[in-house]
Amino acid sequence: MECLIAPPSMVSTEQRQHAEHIFLSFRKSKSPFGVCKHILETSKVDYVLFQAATAIMEAVVREWVLLEKNSIESLRTFLLTYVLQRPNLQKYVREQILLAVAVIVKRGSLDKSINCKSIFHEVSQLISSGNPTVQTLACSILTALLSEFSSSNKTSNIGLSMEFHGSCKRVFQEDDLRQIFVLTMEVLQEFSRRENLNAQMSSVFQRYLALANQMSLGRHYIAVFEATQNVMLKPTESWREALLDNRVMDLFFTVHRKIREDSDMAQDSLQCLAQLASMHGPIFPDETAQVSYLAHMLEGLLSMINGIEIEDSEAVGISNIISNLITTFPRSVLTALPSELFSSFINCLTLLTCSFGRSAALEEVLDKDDMVYMEAYDKLLESWLTLVQEDEHFPRGCFVQPAVQVFNSYIQCHLAAPDGTRNLTANGVASHDEEEINELQEDDRELFSDQLASIGMLGRIAAEHCIPLLTSLLEDRVTRLHGQLQRHQQHLMASSAPDSVDRKVLDDLYEDIHWLILVSGYLLADDPQGETPLIPSEVMEYSIKHSTEVDINTTLQILGSPGEKATSIPGCNRTDSVIRLLSAVLRTSEVESRATRASLIELLSPQMGKDIVWFLRRWAKTYLLVDEKLYSQISMPLSTAFGADTEGAQWIVGYLLEKVINNLSVWSSEPELANDTVELLVTLVEKRERANIVVQCENWWNLAKQFASRSPPLHLLSSPIQRTLMKALVLGGFAHMDSDTKQQYWAEVLHPLQQRFLNLINQENFAQICQEEAVKQEIVATLEALCGIAEATQIDNVGSLFSFLMDFLSSCIGLMEVYQNSPETVNLIIEVFVEVAHKQICYLGETKSMKLYEVCLTLLQVYSKNNLGRKRLDVAAEEDQYQDLLLIMELLTNLLSKEFIDFSDTDEVFRGQEQSTGAGRTVSAADVVLFGVNIVLPLMSQDLLKFPSLCNQYYKLITFICEIFPEKIPQLPEELFKSLMFSLELGMTSMSSEISQLCLEALSPLAEQCAKTQEKDTPLFIATRHFLKLVFDMLVLQKHNTEMTVAAGEALYTLVCLHQAEYSELVESLLSSQRDAVIYQRLADAFNTLTASSTPPTMDRKQKVAFLKSLEEFVANVGGLLCVK
Amino acid sequence: MADADLDFTTGDAGASATYPMQCSALRKNGFVVLKGRPCKIVEMSTSKTGKHGHAKVHMVGIDIFTGKKYEDICPSTHNMDVPNIKRMDYQLIGIQDGYLSLLQDSGEVREDLKMPEGDLGKEIESKFDAGEEILVSVFYSVYLKLEPLTLQIAILLIVLFILGSTNFYFVLFPPLQITVLSAMNEESAVAIKAMAK
Repeated sequence: MECLIAPPSMVSTEQRQHAEHIFLSFRKSKSPFGVCKHILETSKVDYVLFQAATAIMEAVVREWVLLEKNSIESLRTFLLTYVLQRPNLQKYVREQILLAVAVIVKRGSLDKSINCKSIFHEVSQLISSGNPTVQTLACSILTALLSEFSSSNKTSNIGLSMEFHGSCKRVFQEDDLRQIFVLTMEVLQEFSRRENLNAQMSSVFQRYLALANQMSLGRHYIAVFEATQNVMLKPTESWREALLDNRVMDLFFTVHRKIREDSDMAQDSLQCLAQLASMHGPIFPDETAQVSYLAHMLEGLLSMINGIEIEDSEAVGISNIISNLITTFPRSVLTALPSELFSSFINCLTLLTCSFGRSAALEEVLDKDDMVYMEAYDKLLESWLTLVQEDEHFPRGCFVQPAVQVFNSYIQCHLAAPDGTRNLTANGVASHDEEEINELQEDDRELFSDQLASIGMLGRIAAEHCIPLLTSLLEDRVTRLHGQLQRHQQHLMASSAPDSVDRKVLDDLYEDIHWLILVSGYLLADDPQGETPLIPSEVMEYSIKHSTEVDINTTLQILGSPGEKATSIPGCNRTDSVIRLLSAVLRTSEVESRATRASLIELLSPQMGKDIVWFLRRWAKTYLLVDEKLYSQISMPLSTAFGADTEGAQWIVGYLLEKVINNLSVWSSEPELANDTVELLVTLVEKRERANIVVQCENWWNLAKQFASRSPPLHLLSSPIQRTLMKALVLGGFAHMDSDTKQQYWAEVLHPLQQRFLNLINQENFAQICQEEAVKQEIVATLEALCGIAEATQIDNVGSLFSFLMDFLSSCIGLMEVYQNSPETVNLIIEVFVEVAHKQICYLGETKSMKLYEVCLTLLQVYSKNNLGRKRLDVAAEEDQYQDLLLIMELLTNLLSKEFIDFSDTDEVFRGQEQSTGAGRTVSAADVVLFGVNIVLPLMSQDLLKFPSLCNQYYKLITFICEIFPEKIPQLPEELFKSLMFSLELGMTSMSSEISQLCLEALSPLAEQCAKTQEKDTPLFIATRHFLKLVFDMLVLQKHNTEMTVAAGEALYTLVCLHQAEYSELVESLLSSQRDAVIYQRLADAFNTLTASSTPPTMDRKQKVAFLKSLEEFVANVGGLLCVK
Repeated sequence: MADADLDFTTGDAGASATYPMQCSALRKNGFVVLKGRPCKIVEMSTSKTGKHGHAKVHMVGIDIFTGKKYEDICPSTHNMDVPNIKRMDYQLIGIQDGYLSLLQDSGEVREDLKMPEGDLGKEIESKFDAGEEILVSVFYSVYLKLEPLTLQIAILLIVLFILGSTNFYFVLFPPLQITVLSAMNEESAVAIKAMAK
């Protein structure tokens, strides 16, 4: 055998494959121990040694029961001695041999045949030898043991049940792990006492440190979440003595101090400290213990940080320690700290945050790839947020000064010199380069949203300082911007030559304003998704506190005169600061608007334009027409300026509207800015109270007319923006108006759309001109507008919008024919249907739903006809080529969704009448959807399922169908039925867990359907039998996602009800394959208990619930037994 | 001449060869003139120089006649030329010496379009011989090159068989030369149009 495997390095591929085959079969050979020992002792080829070690490991596990315990013991000793005697072995060979040792120890721990303690004894002897090589070896042994017992992916595949792996781990954790820990601490202790470490020593040291980190401590405890980098340490009580010892913590601080200049080692030691900082759980006997532990930790940390200048490589580690401390320890523990210690900690945190912030800014200037300070800064800001969000636990005002400092430093880093340090390198040189920014790059307000949220929160804490600061900085920048733009204009007027002035000054101002507005926006308001945003209590209190000193009239004057310099208004010091900050943004907005009127658009920054409308939108949602009922106390200035029925509110609505209109006409070429602008408009009209004021403005009507006539400049806007604009115009139409006005409004907004459309498609020569670009554009614009109208649907306007849209839908079907070879137009037509179904079906009564179903059915028929035999050219083509398919599936899913969400008023329907008049021609949702499925299923090839969006939509659709119309499934044509079943099986077995879950959910209704009809041997009946086996295997034999247990359990239960005999067979055959009597009994018992509560199984909810409960226990009990690793 | 309608030198019914459109209002799958060639836009993205710069539009287009790729980048406020694309419908009434005889609505017949070569040609022939009714839509765009009086007429054609098989065929007919557009994707069906009666 040896000669066969000897020279693998100088052979052909064929020979190599042959040799490999030999190795593989060698590893499977029976009792290879003698041969292996021989190989190990004689061979010089590393690879062969490696294979021999592997063969031993596999054979030991395979033949464990047959082997004499003594021979195992001696094998282990042999391996260990072998390694000890050969210090020059290749690393991978040594590790493999040690792995074999670890596997033996682990397997032995099961039947207690091997005394684990002996190995620790041996290791501790090795450690105390003082010889670095030997110590390294000891470390390798410990590492091998650790990874073998961790029951993670690193664990070797030794063909034992997951349950075995789990129990090994638990035993190990309680006992041996602590021993390893103690050994490691000893080594570290010893090393930390030495004055000088030579290279070899320090590498040993490093390995132990890495070991300490690896073991320490987290990984073993939370095996499930291993992938997450930051594990929280939650040891059991039995660790109290080992871990709560202050010396352990001190040791790690000492160690870190010693090795902090070595960035790799420092990472390990800081990680250890971070883990200690996250300690929680039963290890603490009481809160006092927690307090003293934390106090000790903080003292260590403070003395560590204060004594040193932090290295780049330490930043993230240190911020992890702090963040862990703040998130892990309860507020009560923090407040119980000695107040001096607490305040030095907060001081230190403040300084650290400011310093990391500055370094992060520097990193940005240097454009470093590895942004360590940015990461550290983010972590610390996040910790601040955690701290101050619960600041009622802390002494009042204790965070104000720190907040001021952190806030100031943030502002300073983001402003240009001389006020700030933006773009300054460490030696004060400004760097300024213009990089290309593509559309995929996120805007700062999203990119830095976490930072900004923290800074905004700190700004609220220190509102007294921060709001006036932002105001004065912003006012100053705006004045300067105004002056700068004026100079440019004069220059332009004076010389006909193109403006050659450097944009640097302008760009610096824009960037300053950009950040000031972002911070102001985050400070003044939140952006809660879905909820009504409230004025932050800190801001409200701040405004109230000063309301007595405030002169309301001057405040309103400042607010109402954005064209004037704020400081030029007499008495400007006695104004409400919150309103003043808004006014500062309005002043920015006004400078921008005036510049556009003076044809200086080229000089303006679209980014600043975006910032302004973004701010105004955020502000308007929270402050405009402030609802006093939502607050326990309200500030007079705020309610006077922005409350309902105030002139201030009316004025500002008018101003915002004017801004929107101006932006839409001058910024049509800036898609993002136009989009932010139109979103501001939607915000203004989506709430009825605001809309009521909006529709009183003449400008609003002008906008509506202008848009309806599709005249410049609005028609230059890109289509998504036109769509949203339409939505806003429709929403506005439902504001409060007298009926004449309302009629007039719709006549202005919607009727022209209809008229133009009808005029166009009813032209005699439409068939000839329909492909002309101009005609197509008109059609596309109409379709976009229809989508916008559908998007504007709300519960109280659905009636009128539905009737309006229905008139169009039939014409749209005609367009499907005309434009059948213009995919993007076809897609847009389908999209109109998708939107209508999506937004409206849940509100529609029966008659109206029927109408919608009918028209959708016709659409599908036309689509199907046009698609018949159509070849899609390249299967490997891009996803968007299948947009139509995706949209059709979306449409079907939307139609089905009515079965789940239905807000319609059933009284509206005259059922009897409906049935008598139209029984013959009514169309049900089922008809439409099944017809659609007939189209979609044959098109959905396996290749298409590789596209995630198509795949998800497809499975969502078929699950819905099975759940809602199970009775229709058996009626499907044979081919369709087969492919549906195949899809379900495919989805269950080889797709993501999400899809697998969907498919499982589809099974129960199918099985119930079978049970209902009582027919055996139908294709569905046979298919469900097949699914029983699949689900059974999935639950019992495979490692499955625990989230799926419920879905799989429900499916299993109904399938079991349907196929009781087959289920018993499955159980029987599984049991009969068990050779181990103990396991057999356990399994048999488990299966009995599983079905005990539901014998005989019937489709009864109560029984099903009982079954699911037992299933949970079943999985916990024996789930690991059959799942082998 | 049978096809008086195809007198491109003067333009058809007053329509010009191109018309201007603001760059930002162009859309993917639409048409635009890039580097002097009428193109279908297959990719569109925006970018800016510096955070406070103005948007620029980056376009990738496929020449609708040659299938060649062209790119351009321009400020989004600029106007671009959009080519006018027209369509003519014919009924296939005969095949002679490798040329198609196409009947216009007006009753006139044009016979200057060559039968596609290869399998496609054979299939058209056999379908036609089998008596299937075939409607041919010819799409063309007028484009004046920089050289004066050099008139380029390109005609794109798709044939859709309405009886029996219903496959699409994409064929490109520049004057006197036939190319089968195997490389073109399905969406080119805008430029290449089929119509069944």
